[in-house]
Amino acid sequence: MSRAFDARVDAALADRQLKIAVERTAGTAEAKRGAAIGAWPSFGAARERAAAIKDHVIANLGSYLVQFEASATASGATVHWAETADEACAIVVDICRKAGARSVARSKSMLGEEIGLPHALEAAGIGRVETDLAEHIIQLAGERPSHIIWPAMHKTREQVSALFHARHREPHVEESIVAMAASARRQLRGEMLGADVGISGANFLIADSGQVCTVTNEGNAELSLVPPRVHIVTAGIEKLVPSMDHAVHLLRLLARSATGAALTQYTTFYAGPKRAGDRDGPEEMHIVLVDNGRSAMRDEGLAEMLRCIRCGACMNHCVVFRQIGGHAYGGTYPGPMGSVLTPALDGLAANRDLPNACTMNGKCQEVCPVAIPLPTLLRGWREKSWREGLEPVTLRKGLGLWAWAARRPWVYRTGVRWAIRTMRLAGRGWIAKLPLAGGWTGGRDFPAPAAESFMDRYRKGER
Amino acid sequence: MSQDTPSRVALFVTCLVDAMRPRVGFAALRALADAGCAVVVPAAQTCCGQPALNSGDRATATDFARRNVAMLEGYDAIVVPSGSCAGTIRCHYPELLADDPEWAARAEAVAGKTWEILAYLDARGWRPQGVTLPATATYHDSCSGLRELGIKAQPRRLLGAVDGLDLVPLAGEETCCGFGGTFCVKYPAISNAIADEKAAAVEASGAGLLLAGDLGCLMNMAGKLHRRGAEVRAFHTIEVLAGMADGPAIGEDQ
Amino acid sequence: MSARDAILARLGPVGDPAVLAAEAAGLLTGEERERPVGGEDLVARFLAQLGQPSVAATHARIGSLAELPGAVAGYLAVEGAEPALWLPPDARVDGLDWAGLTRLADCPIDDGAVLAFARAGVAETGSLVFETSPEAPMLPNFLALRHIVVLEVAALVRWLEDAAPGGAVPRAHYWVTGVSGTTDIEGTYVRGAHGPRFLHVVLVGSPS
Repeated sequence: MSRAFDARVDAALADRQLKIAVERTAGTAEAKRGAAIGAWPSFGAARERAAAIKDHVIANLGSYLVQFEASATASGATVHWAETADEACAIVVDICRKAGARSVARSKSMLGEEIGLPHALEAAGIGRVETDLAEHIIQLAGERPSHIIWPAMHKTREQVSALFHARHREPHVEESIVAMAASARRQLRGEMLGADVGISGANFLIADSGQVCTVTNEGNAELSLVPPRVHIVTAGIEKLVPSMDHAVHLLRLLARSATGAALTQYTTFYAGPKRAGDRDGPEEMHIVLVDNGRSAMRDEGLAEMLRCIRCGACMNHCVVFRQIGGHAYGGTYPGPMGSVLTPALDGLAANRDLPNACTMNGKCQEVCPVAIPLPTLLRGWREKSWREGLEPVTLRKGLGLWAWAARRPWVYRTGVRWAIRTMRLAGRGWIAKLPLAGGWTGGRDFPAPAAESFMDRYRKGER
Repeated sequence: MSQDTPSRVALFVTCLVDAMRPRVGFAALRALADAGCAVVVPAAQTCCGQPALNSGDRATATDFARRNVAMLEGYDAIVVPSGSCAGTIRCHYPELLADDPEWAARAEAVAGKTWEILAYLDARGWRPQGVTLPATATYHDSCSGLRELGIKAQPRRLLGAVDGLDLVPLAGEETCCGFGGTFCVKYPAISNAIADEKAAAVEASGAGLLLAGDLGCLMNMAGKLHRRGAEVRAFHTIEVLAGMADGPAIGEDQ
Repeated sequence: MSARDAILARLGPVGDPAVLAAEAAGLLTGEERERPVGGEDLVARFLAQLGQPSVAATHARIGSLAELPGAVAGYLAVEGAEPALWLPPDARVDGLDWAGLTRLADCPIDDGAVLAFARAGVAETGSLVFETSPEAPMLPNFLALRHIVVLEVAALVRWLEDAAPGGAVPRAHYWVTGVSGTTDIEGTYVRGAHGPRFLHVVLVGSPS
């Protein structure tokens, strides 16, 4: 109900192209996930195990971070720590400068978006090549991602085509998605292979081996990270897993939940820089462990949110997301998981709409591969918002009046009688316009109540 | 639970049924009596407290939980013609009162004997006898009933015993209709857009009747269907099971 | 206080590694270890997975490595591709007769074919397992249009867990489970986004 949120929602709902674009991708993802999970009868048990693995790590996060630091250092990588987004960006920019980097190739990372890394690199005058196709589209359009798996989900093929025609050296001739992808391949090839630094996120950090796991379907991570002299990883501290076997269990759930595939096409575990005799690989590997509010989340009732493996299933299955797309949420992360994370990352006061703009239908929790109780966490934000007086005064007063009456059955019945009479003044069958309920009757008819309430009729002996 | 144990059952009619559609309450009384239950309607009931719960007003929601637990704990079973209100009592009262030594166990006890009406009737083995309704209907699974209480097969089993009633599938039957209680008031434009897709799916099902187990969702979907000019009529499932689908549908003058 | 110390201070004391390791291992044991498929024949399962739409690899079977050049030439001919490829600096290719095929000095960066030896194959997913070493550079496997992978039947394992590196952790351990694909434009699947558009597996040896 904040004006900014309302304005974004109105703009999204008025955008027919957006609706078409979101439906095409999210609808496909929903169907493919459904088929994959349907073919895995023990999905329910597997996700409980996944939740237990993540909970174990989150409960012992300090120990696992120390273990990871030691094993990653032993592999030849340099480990850095950042408490805040700004600190993380400063570390990355500093590494780039020391490497004399003119250009960096970036493989899609939501943590990078979260900490504002694209902007920080730009501010430092370092050229940036986004190598994920969707991130490339977003970079050309000067926009932000609207989905964590498909950052350009909000774009129709027609919009992408126009963008490529305007910006690619050798744009596609034939108007097909295949030809558009080929246009991007031509455009990105040289830029990607000529970068001085490759920057990625991490899907998992393996504590006992110091390996950093990335998954992509395009293979753009490997193309971005192997040729440059320096590989920088920025990863949230919650990405730890005890061992590769634990990662494997989560990978099975991640791929199926995101795209319906049994596994991503390219799954790579990196451990340190190039070794003696290696013909390729970076000379330096840096890993930046980023807190940015995560340790506080663990201790402030959001520990379960740190289970999240960023599959995007919650948003693909969210009726609100499917209507308004990702940008309307206003944060780095959209959809149900974003509505839990954004108030923690960017503050509740400016984002109190996010946990409220949810029907509490529970579908997100049902599809979550790590069983995050998203509706419960959203309700937790609503309670905090209420306690801190952030909810609108009309709602507080209205609810207060209702609660006062509802504790007094006699008063309440009188109120119901009055309400029934008032509503029936507006009509007896379907009401097309009901005062004070314009939000409802703007798009729906409202059924008039019966002349007398159930409790009144029951009291009079009707059965 | 067997059919021949007459239970002392409290009907928690819900604030929406009370004010908007008393027929649902009378249908519930009729079906429960037919199932051999001695039904009482506690006179002090108003609301389960869900508006406060979902608005973040935990203190008020907890207060309602205590009041309703005290009011309902003396009965053998509490039956509710709504998945979301039954879910509030069954799933959320114990959460709200978990840290209250005096009330936690009492809340658990009430939760353990609170039922959504269709699930209750089905578990008792009751089936409608001699109810005929020559019509084609489609069923929407309301979210709280489906996901908090696991209600899916029960309404279909019960409706299967209605003579002449043909149940046809609804595409996206488990997809939220956009009602969401206070959500439809706070974010009417989003709610409306979701309802529009649901209505289109209902129309595409070819059914003449839309059935569900929650009046809020039904009002939302029926209101949208009517605005779109669709001919589909909507009833609470318990009305059909009690043989009351010959009366006015939702939105028709009661 | 350094960022490291501040973060670790918030997260609480570091626990006993042995206790932690035992607890973590316990999370992966038990009969109900949920894995997606059962125990049919490894080769059959592997080949079936190669045929999945998300993998979409072709394959050929040969009895021994000596038949490899012929199998590769045959594949390229059927595909109407040039009879040329880049071979890795691996001793196994040197003893073979590559007559009829041009050995490229440099790895093609946007077309052409490269050959690689997989360390293992995973029946569960149809994944090919690679590890970097002086004999096995990584980049070529992501550059060319056609990725031809040689895999010994004896190197097939059932589960992804079985593919984990046994000894020292290599610089990069990676699983290839298909070709470079994208669904970034309207969710439509396109092959050859940045890397290989075609994956061809040459399975060596007969099932034991």
